[in-house]
Amino acid sequence: MTLNLCVLTQNRIVWDSEVKEIILSTNSGQIGVLPNHAPIATAVDIDILKIRLNNQWLTMALMGGFARIGNNEITILVNDAEKNSDIDPQEAEQTLEIAEANLRKAEGKRQTIEANLALRRARTRVEALNTI
Amino acid sequence: MAMAVFRREGRRLLPSIAARPIAAIRSPLSSDQEEGLLGIRSISTQVVRNRMKSVKNIQKITKAMKMVAASKLRAVQGRAENSRGLWQPFTALLGDNPSIDVKKSVVVTLSSDKGLCGGINSTVVKVSRALYKLNSGPEKEVQFVIVGEKAKAIMFRDSKNDIVLSVTELNKNPLNYAQVSVLADDILKNVEFDALRIVYNKFHSVVAFLPTVSTVLSPEIIEKESEVGGKLGELDSYEIEGGETKGEILQNLAEFQFSCVMFNAVLENACSEMGARMSAMDSSSRNAGEMLDRLTLTYNRTRQASITTELIEIISGASALEAAK
Repeated sequence: MTLNLCVLTQNRIVWDSEVKEIILSTNSGQIGVLPNHAPIATAVDIDILKIRLNNQWLTMALMGGFARIGNNEITILVNDAEKNSDIDPQEAEQTLEIAEANLRKAEGKRQTIEANLALRRARTRVEALNTI
Repeated sequence: MAMAVFRREGRRLLPSIAARPIAAIRSPLSSDQEEGLLGIRSISTQVVRNRMKSVKNIQKITKAMKMVAASKLRAVQGRAENSRGLWQPFTALLGDNPSIDVKKSVVVTLSSDKGLCGGINSTVVKVSRALYKLNSGPEKEVQFVIVGEKAKAIMFRDSKNDIVLSVTELNKNPLNYAQVSVLADDILKNVEFDALRIVYNKFHSVVAFLPTVSTVLSPEIIEKESEVGGKLGELDSYEIEGGETKGEILQNLAEFQFSCVMFNAVLENACSEMGARMSAMDSSSRNAGEMLDRLTLTYNRTRQASITTELIEIISGASALEAAK
C-alpha cells in the first residue's frame, strides 16, 4: 500500500507519484504520514518536506500552503517548492546572507515581517541542502 | 471599429453590385458621379480603387491582429492548463456548490479590456445578470465586482448601484500568481460575502469558450454546511490541524482557495479572449477578402463601361463627320 503524493504550486506540478512515507512540517510541529493515515486537512509551514521512496529519503523545500491527506492520497498546495537537487548551494547561502542583512536593516513592522519571511524561506532552502 | 467600417462599406456597395453597372447604379457619393458628362450615373474607377485600397488595408490589419492573438494564446495556454490543477483539490475537499442559498452573494465578473474579441464579454455579462436575478429576493442581496473595461462599460448602465469594486487594466501587469493574489486581497478586503461567484469564460479549445461560474464559500458558511451534512459533511471527518482554531484554518483555506480559483479564472479568461479574437479577426479577414473580390469585379465592369462609352463617342463622332462630308 503506497501513498499517492501530489505537490502542486501555482505554476506547475512539482511532484506526482507514489511514495512510501512523508514527513511534513505544519504550524504545530512535524507529522509523519504512513499509508492508511486518518484524514487530515492542515496548513503547511515554510519548512522542508521529506519523502521516502524505498529506503531513500528525498528532501524538498516548501514555502507554505495547505495539505490534505485523504485515503492514501496526499495533496500539498504550496506557494513554491524546490527539490534539494535543484537548489544551488552557493546561491542558497548568498540568499540567506542577503536575507539576514535585510532583516537587520528592516524598519517598521511590515518590513520586519517581510524580512522575517524571506529569511525563513532562505533558511529552508539551505536546510534542504544540508539534510540528506 | 473594423466591423462598423465593414457595415458601412457593405451598405455602399450592395446597391451597386445588385444592379447592372451601366443601367441603374445608385451611388450615394454624388460628388463622384459623372452625370453631366455621360448622361448616365456611374461610379468612377477612382472611387472604386480607393475603396479597394482601404479594404485591403483593413484586411492586412485584421490578419496581423489574428497572428498576434495566436502567438499570445500559445503563451498563456500552457500556464492556464497548469493552473487547472490548483483548484481541484479544493473542490475535492470542499465541494462545489453553485446552488447554495446564501444571504450575501458577490458576483465577480471577469472580462477583457480591449474589444474586437467576439461575443465573450456579452455572454459573461448575461450570466452575471442571470445570477443577479436568481439570487435576489427578500433578505438576499447581490453585489458586483467587475474586472475589465468591457464589462464595466456594459454594466455601468443598469446596475451602477450594485457595483462595489471595479478593476481595469489587469493585463498590463504580467499575469502571475502574485498579481492575482493582490487583486484577490483587494476584493476580500472590500466586500462582505457569504458566497463569491466568479464568472469567466472557460477555455475548452480554440473555438470553444463556455461561460462558467466558480463558487467560493466564506468560512462561516463552510462550517455551518459541514455540520448539516452532504458533500461538505465529509469535511468534518477531516481533522484540522496546524493552527490555533479550526476557524482560523478555514479562513486561511478560504482565502487561499479564492486566490487559486481567481488565478485559474483570470488565465482561462485571457486564453478565451485570445481565442475569440483570433476567430473574430479570421472571419473579418475572410469578409474583407470577399469584399475585395466583389470590388474588383465592379472595378473591371466600370473600367470596361468607360472604355465602351469612349469608343461609342469616337465612333459616333467619326461617323457624324463622315456623314457631314
